[in-house]
Amino acid sequence: MERRRFLKVLGATGGAAAAASACDIRPEPTQHLIPYLVPPENQVPGIATYYATTCRECAAGCGLHAKVREGRVIKLEGNPESPINQGRLCSRGQAALQGLYNPDRVTDPMARGPNGQWQKLSWEDAIGRVQAKLREARGKGIAFVTGLESGSFGELIDGWMKEIGGRHVTCEPFAFEALREGNRLAFGTAAIPSYDFANARYVVSFGADFMETWLSPVAYQNGFSRAHGFDAGRAASMAKFVYVGPRLALTGMSADEWIAAAPGTEGMLALAMAHVIVTRRLAPVPTDVARVRAALDANAPERVAAAIGIGADVIVRLAREFAASQGGLAVAGGIAAQYANGAEIVAAVNILNYVAGQVGKTIRFGPNHALEAAGSFQQLTELVADMSAGKVALLFVHGANPAHSLPAAFSEALGHVAYRVSFASCLDETAAASDLVLPDLHPLEQWNDARPRAGVYALQQPVMQPVFPGTRHAGDVLLQVAGKTGTFKEHLQTSWRGVHQRYGRSRAFDDFWNEALQHGGVYADAPAQAVHLTLDVARAAAPEKPALGWKPSPDEPALVVFPSIALHDGRGANKQWLQELPDPVSKITWHAWVEVHPDTAAKWRVASGDIVLLKSSFGAVRAPVWITAGVRPDVIAVPTGQGHKAYGRYAKDRSFNAFELLSGAPTPYGGRAHVVSVAVATTGDHRSLATTEGDAREQGRGVIEVLSLERARALTRGTHPFEERETPRYADQALRGWAEAQREKASLGNYAGNQPRWGMAIDLAKCTGCSACVTACYAENNLATVGEELVAHRRQMSWMRIERYFTGGEAGRPVGAVVTPMLCQQCGNAPCEPVCPVYAAYHTADGLNGQVYNRCVGTRYCANNCPYKVRYFNWYNYAEPGGEWESWPDPLNMLLNPDVTVREKGVMEKCTFCVQRIRGAQNRARLEDRTVQDGEITPACAQACPSEAIVFGDLHDKASRVAALAQDPRGYHVLEGLNTQPGITYLARVVDAVVAEA
Amino acid sequence: MCAIYRWRYILAPAQPFHKHIHIRHRVLWMTKRSDRVGAGVAIALLLAFPAAAQTGQSTPVTKAPVITDTARLLGPRQPIFFRHDVHAGQDQIPCLYCHNTVAVSSEPGIPAVQTCFGCHQMIGGSTPTHQAEIKKIRDAWINKKPPEWTRVHALPGFVRFPHQRHIKILGTESCINCHGDVRVMPQVYQFATLRMGWCVTCHVQRNVSRDCTLCHY
Repeated sequence: MERRRFLKVLGATGGAAAAASACDIRPEPTQHLIPYLVPPENQVPGIATYYATTCRECAAGCGLHAKVREGRVIKLEGNPESPINQGRLCSRGQAALQGLYNPDRVTDPMARGPNGQWQKLSWEDAIGRVQAKLREARGKGIAFVTGLESGSFGELIDGWMKEIGGRHVTCEPFAFEALREGNRLAFGTAAIPSYDFANARYVVSFGADFMETWLSPVAYQNGFSRAHGFDAGRAASMAKFVYVGPRLALTGMSADEWIAAAPGTEGMLALAMAHVIVTRRLAPVPTDVARVRAALDANAPERVAAAIGIGADVIVRLAREFAASQGGLAVAGGIAAQYANGAEIVAAVNILNYVAGQVGKTIRFGPNHALEAAGSFQQLTELVADMSAGKVALLFVHGANPAHSLPAAFSEALGHVAYRVSFASCLDETAAASDLVLPDLHPLEQWNDARPRAGVYALQQPVMQPVFPGTRHAGDVLLQVAGKTGTFKEHLQTSWRGVHQRYGRSRAFDDFWNEALQHGGVYADAPAQAVHLTLDVARAAAPEKPALGWKPSPDEPALVVFPSIALHDGRGANKQWLQELPDPVSKITWHAWVEVHPDTAAKWRVASGDIVLLKSSFGAVRAPVWITAGVRPDVIAVPTGQGHKAYGRYAKDRSFNAFELLSGAPTPYGGRAHVVSVAVATTGDHRSLATTEGDAREQGRGVIEVLSLERARALTRGTHPFEERETPRYADQALRGWAEAQREKASLGNYAGNQPRWGMAIDLAKCTGCSACVTACYAENNLATVGEELVAHRRQMSWMRIERYFTGGEAGRPVGAVVTPMLCQQCGNAPCEPVCPVYAAYHTADGLNGQVYNRCVGTRYCANNCPYKVRYFNWYNYAEPGGEWESWPDPLNMLLNPDVTVREKGVMEKCTFCVQRIRGAQNRARLEDRTVQDGEITPACAQACPSEAIVFGDLHDKASRVAALAQDPRGYHVLEGLNTQPGITYLARVVDAVVAEA
Repeated sequence: MCAIYRWRYILAPAQPFHKHIHIRHRVLWMTKRSDRVGAGVAIALLLAFPAAAQTGQSTPVTKAPVITDTARLLGPRQPIFFRHDVHAGQDQIPCLYCHNTVAVSSEPGIPAVQTCFGCHQMIGGSTPTHQAEIKKIRDAWINKKPPEWTRVHALPGFVRFPHQRHIKILGTESCINCHGDVRVMPQVYQFATLRMGWCVTCHVQRNVSRDCTLCHY
């Protein structure tokens, strides 16, 4: 009996039951068709409209294209015209949608009632109350706290505060105070310059996590992958990358060499390298370097090597390589800029760049980053002091949540403020402690602008009508409160008249404005400024204060608080996509953790998942241990972002808030120390970590191939260094016969003729593991988020995942990590297909492993048989409204892509190379009587990838980019020996290091 | 990048959007009600309906019958007794006049109230029954409350049906193949089964692709 007939019979006997059950296939539940009253101009139902706007998820100010279908934004993509992100977008940017449609948004103005409960009120009433309080508070202290607002909104607040005698404080938990102060120490300017990663030939990062949260991560990662990617045709391929820091962060995982310097000694290393360059005349040294000569001598390699924890010869080698590259770029940031001596470390790194002659080349002052205008932690603490002293009678908070980042002090101080007004769109900790909440529009619903760096004027326009009609633009509300006429849009246009005068005087303002809207803003260059060492630069090299007040050891470790790539300072915590996104390093979801070195863990007798009590002199938290070789034995590390006491259903009461452990006192440079001494106590409790990690080691399975630079350079076209992993020779004849049979089968009926074979090439020399592709896939393909409990059961749905494996560590080999995106390989000879009893998994004529959801009966044989583990089963009905596992509570369901079926319980699903985009492109091409061009189809992952590591196209089209890459000598297929004939070619990672070939 | 085929940079600052339509799993989006009112008055189209002659529609001009018993008609009852047999049959208005995105998009488009009002601003109806129905659409325009049509042709949410490709191949007269001859339907009813076997029969006859992922994704 054929298996299909068997199932038919089976179905007939169970037919009565099936008809009554929910799996009955009936037409769409949409009952009514409601026409437009007036059709919107230029919008065609079924075809997406794209609006250019600006991402406001962090201070980077990346350009966006918002994809709008039938009046709803359903996907965010990078704006290719933006000089910041070049059409790329990170996970946090993708997830802005979940902020827009967040089910926990405040829908109407609310005020505290007499018993402390929230009461809705009208806007007129709310604005009246603010005006009354404003009159009362005049002269008694008014303060306005915002996030970084580099554009017209910030100017509006500045101007208004000046008018009424208040003050405007920006609160960015990562405000890069040390970077600004370090630049002032070394060069006399507190600006944040432009870093040219793309043209760097040698990159040293002193703690700067420039692919995660440091300044402008998408831009830097894009530039970095251009420099660091392996290009056989380029003479000086590739730029070596050295990462210095106590912990192997995501940025460090891309490094060719990780130097785990003792915490706080990063500056010494920079000065020691500068010393080598100066004394050995490795570069034409500027004359004013004499000012720091004494400081350099004090930091000669032999003197500081022991403190740093590496050999003096290593320092000399690094300095030689750095100078010889003639394109060195050293950056300081991250934890290195969050010690007590952070500013001095930054200044030391500046000196290194300066002596190597790179200031003005890879580092240019002039096109400065907007964050130079951010306030400092010191200003915030001053405000807190004034609040506690009763000197603030009226406090406005917009776009900041200081009650989370400065938990104890700010919350306590809030109690002393007479009246607190919040513009939060979700009830975060600060808003929850307010008297009045005036819900602002989401950035995707409002007019605004940003100046991410000098010369770049990015515009924000509403891409749809407000999700909640009861919310209002904070700018409009402020204008009304201040008794000014006009809307914020008019205010914005007024301030843009200045930009018009400068860049578009030849055109009428309206034309200029419309053009700027179309392109997402005005992009101009800012003139470079020359900088020289200041007179008191030597002070930088002689820190007044030690980095830490004690010498860390496994018994008294230094606890490092690092920014989470997904949740940032905590603002992303109420977005499921970001909560469910496995941290690129730890692979843990929905929870925070503490990183402990294996030796230290053995000493403490703890295992991964054991909960320890971390107690600093400022606070205590309970954290589950995650054991990793990617951290120094005398350091433990925790991420920010979790531990909210309010904010929404996904964020609240989840894990711990790392900020609680930190001191509330500012450092000498006005920032905050993110390192603290903690006492660690075991609790005996255990928590199974919701991790997506399978094995911490690759175990030589050929999933990720690594080549040394030397070997990669020696490769010529036609060679295949990974041949030994392919199918054994004795199988050749059988394979040939199989191939013939396949060809015959594949060319029957309408499969005859020239069909494409869709394929992909993924360059692991470029992939950094940042996971932007993962979130893009969630957004594009309606992937359900399943929550912590189900992730712990390995039931996550991420069609695209990043696999991370640690390397080295044994026999003195340096510790590193390799990453690879893993998605359906679209096998030519797919193991999943023949085992499907209902032909739901089948091979399409254009080479995809199709998955027909409505055929699938959920036997899961296919997932069982898939060697790549890229098939995902719907264990529950994640789309059921009000259901236990509901993934899209109203109005989150509005972000669902209407081109993709939302899968039900009992259905297997998987990546199909964004088949909806393929079919869409084919439909368009057919309509225009042409064929699909190479590059016309871009899957969501390839489109988002900040490193441009993923290339998609037709392997049969010999002129396509992907066909060329599939022939690259670095190319290999994962688990090739299984003869699955994958459609994805991985290009081996290339490492410029003494030890390679994992 | 597939930039060249994108509908980008279209400058309407904010799009009409209504959140009261709950679309759940198996999303298939249809045109939405708009709460934005057009600035100008709808263009009063003095329609002589010459279109039929221009498109070479072959059917002779039919006189739509007088319907006395609507209960006998097939298909769901609609909020307004809109008669395709009058509009498309007797008056020979081409399908694409109202369903104007069918040749470019997967969605055929439900005409906006503005489209109806464009003619019915002038045309008030000759009989009291007609006048009563036409009044409904005029009221809809005045009260800014579009009628909620009951859906006749619906596909399950896991099926994509690109209207534009079918119109491209089969021509603008081919609506009849799946929707029946609405020129003689006083009230539209589901003409074809719209089941997969029915789709595939046609695809087999015409020897075009029967790949599952053509429609299911």
